[in-house]
Amino acid sequence: MEEIKHYEPFEVDQHLTANSRYYAGRMGSRFYVALRDQQKILGAKCPKCNKVLWPPRSTCHVCFSELTETVEIGPLGTVETFTVVTYNEPVQPRKAPFVYAVIRLDGADTGMAHFLDEVDLDEVHIGMRVRPVFARDRKANILDIQYFKPL
Amino acid sequence: MVQKEQEWISIPMTVDVPYRFAAGQYLTKYLVEMRDNGKIFAVKCPRCKRVQLPPRIVCAECHVKNEEWVELAQEGTLVAFTIMYLPLTDPTTGKPHEPPFVYGSVRLDGATSVLDHFVNVEPDMEKVWVGMRMRLVLRPKEQRTGDLSDILYYEPLPGQVRPK
Ligand SMILES: [Zn+2]
Ligand SMILES: [Zn+2]
Repeated sequence: MEEIKHYEPFEVDQHLTANSRYYAGRMGSRFYVALRDQQKILGAKCPKCNKVLWPPRSTCHVCFSELTETVEIGPLGTVETFTVVTYNEPVQPRKAPFVYAVIRLDGADTGMAHFLDEVDLDEVHIGMRVRPVFARDRKANILDIQYFKPL
Repeated sequence: MVQKEQEWISIPMTVDVPYRFAAGQYLTKYLVEMRDNGKIFAVKCPRCKRVQLPPRIVCAECHVKNEEWVELAQEGTLVAFTIMYLPLTDPTTGKPHEPPFVYGSVRLDGATSVLDHFVNVEPDMEKVWVGMRMRLVLRPKEQRTGDLSDILYYEPLPGQVRPK
């Protein structure tokens, strides 16, 4: 009879790394340049449905019009929704606990996720008014806004 | 109105994810035997008799359960290769393997399927060919961890001449 050998449950550690480059495009580039050089936040205004989209993009996701016009929005905004991250995960850019919030800037019709810091975790709520904190050394990426914080 | 030429922004990004997978019953035997005893185990399908490596519970061709284990020879034949001019990310460390290098599929003697790995020859089309006989080279036992990096590379058997 064949000898049956038992193996302990076995786990394999792996490591995935993918290098890539994000091309911001025409409207995205204007957004990042204004953020870096002027600490201004731009949205894209749709000529047809008048919606202001943030971050700016080249096509309106409501009516598919081509977008070319930028308007300054914010810098103040409102928390539309949020989550408190309470566990550490290698893919997260921060150590827990921290808050991700979807923030709709004044003058915009869409919200975008960013960090919400300098806030008591029990105080965060939908409708909270927030303002951006700009990075001192800005590099034309979304972390030129370091985070948002409550008014 | 003349539009001023605008600046185009692009942002380098790196996704960096360490993760862990449960090897399961069959892959565990394969990885543990390679790590502890330097042996290569495959499974043989009871219906089509193909010998599958890495071993899986179910035969990929006829979907029946594999239950017979076979130990493979550590020599085989190169059935395909490529010379890589772009870095390949090592799935164990996430670090790039610096090009140029040769990466190939070797059918170990007794196996039906192939196992891809580095081939330790100069990246030169004159020095590597399909049909070349290869030997599997494992890390020294004390350095093995139980993943595919326990295989260092395939190495050509000595004394081979490229067919005309
Ligand atoms: Zn629109
Ligand atoms: Zn089969």
